[in-house]
Amino acid sequence: MIVRALLAAAILAVVSPRLHAETLVTALSTERVYIESNFTGSGVVIFGTVERDRQTVARPEPYEIVVTLTGPLRSMVARRKERVAGIWINRESSELPRVPSFLAIATTAPMVDVAGNRVRAGQGLGFDMLPTRGLPDALPPIRTEYDAAFLRLMQRQGLFTLNEGSVEFLSSQLFRAPIELPANVPIGWYTATVYLFSGGVLLAKTTQDFSILKGGFEQTITNLAHREPALYGLATVVVACLTGWLAGVAFRKD
Amino acid sequence: MDLYLPIAEMPMNLFLLLGMGAAVGFLSGMFGVGGGFLLTPLLIFSGISPAVAVASVSSQIVANSTSGVLAYLRKKTVDLKLGLFLTLSGIIGSAIGVWVYGALRGVGQLDVVIALSYVAFLGTIGMLMVVEAVRAILAKQRGTPLPIRRPGQHSWIAGLPLRVRFHRSRLYISALPVIALGASIGFLGALLGIGGGFIMVPALIYLLKVPTTIVIGTTLLQTLGTMAFTTFMQSATNQTVDVILGLALMVGGVVGAQFGARVGQSLRGETLRLLLGLLVLSVGLRFAVDLVARPDELYSISRMGGW
Repeated sequence: MIVRALLAAAILAVVSPRLHAETLVTALSTERVYIESNFTGSGVVIFGTVERDRQTVARPEPYEIVVTLTGPLRSMVARRKERVAGIWINRESSELPRVPSFLAIATTAPMVDVAGNRVRAGQGLGFDMLPTRGLPDALPPIRTEYDAAFLRLMQRQGLFTLNEGSVEFLSSQLFRAPIELPANVPIGWYTATVYLFSGGVLLAKTTQDFSILKGGFEQTITNLAHREPALYGLATVVVACLTGWLAGVAFRKD
Repeated sequence: MDLYLPIAEMPMNLFLLLGMGAAVGFLSGMFGVGGGFLLTPLLIFSGISPAVAVASVSSQIVANSTSGVLAYLRKKTVDLKLGLFLTLSGIIGSAIGVWVYGALRGVGQLDVVIALSYVAFLGTIGMLMVVEAVRAILAKQRGTPLPIRRPGQHSWIAGLPLRVRFHRSRLYISALPVIALGASIGFLGALLGIGGGFIMVPALIYLLKVPTTIVIGTTLLQTLGTMAFTTFMQSATNQTVDVILGLALMVGGVVGAQFGARVGQSLRGETLRLLLGLLVLSVGLRFAVDLVARPDELYSISRMGGW
């Protein structure tokens, strides 16, 4: 009798999350952000609903949402200044391979209340759990001084932001997460990841891509500078000479 | 009104850029110097990466020296042959400078080298100018004219081989010091984003004994040639020239220079030199303080292999 009940419970535990768990449906307010000459920052809104069906178990804990917007991965170097012969110069350095160039995190509640360290470490979720040396692990990452400096400086530049409580539920299932893109937002492919938690358990996760691109004129200039550097250099020199010549003609005193 | 700079990848206020260009152009017109030594630090202090600042200012210097050279060519006060010698050697120096710049950036020591060089050059030149100007002013007040130093022959420069005749400057001197001077200015120009006029002018007058009337036009010609090459090289190898940033600075700079030149003509020579000396010295001091004072943040981050 007990064995049968346990067996049933075990089957239910294995099967039920798949059959009766919530599913997430999410959408972005825009798929492309163009940086034009007057760009001073922008924003993107991530919408979503928590889909339930009749068999979905009732949760005693409320739903919590975490949204992350991750910018293109780049390899960075953190350097430490030391005093040498009276002046401060860069000495020791440490490489941080493939770390996000932008990371905005928005949540419905303080991160520590949403999920425990183990769950977040497994997902690499939160600045304290962000892997700086490879993939997320079950254990919280070990931080060197350089990793800490990287996280601190990225936050100071406004490239890493954490907005606890900025995700709001519009109804019991519909939520919206506004995320600001600062003026110095890096160009490239972004991934928006939405996590659904309840009672510290990850129930569902979706990812969506979007891109931040330079506008037509800005992109043309960047392309020219990177693909035809010699031509770009020549054109710059010609523009400079013309400007100087025009000024000379315009202000000639005779 | 903010303007997005595509290579610097950041927005900056258009009027701030025009204003900085105009202010530096005004000073450069007033003192007859290029102003790169002021503009590059201004851009760095306002948040543009030193890499982009140094490279983009070189394009602004091209614009400024073009209008200058044209004016002096009309007055026929340019030694074309001397200018050519200086420019060709300047280009060699500039090529080395662009390469060293890239190498230093790769190992993360570019900023400190730029700062140290600014301290050394601006400190030395600024100090010399201030001392000289104060002595001239004091002498004038006492009514005792300073002994005019008739430039005598420097034995070691006169004794060098490979002599070349420069008709316009009425000189028959070795090509070696000319080439060395041109190359060092070209090197510094590429590394520091300066035209080097404030080093070149005294060097031509005191070391090579070029007549003062010829000096400025010839220096401008060398600056134009070397900086045009530097702009091209920085674009081709480091891809750090922001043409939008450069253009905003150029427009402000050439307009400011015209007004500066008018004010400069109405000021007395010693006063002008004292003011310029103090300005040069204070920029040098600012760099020195940043180097010596304990920074608030010991760490810095940058992209691998540059940026």
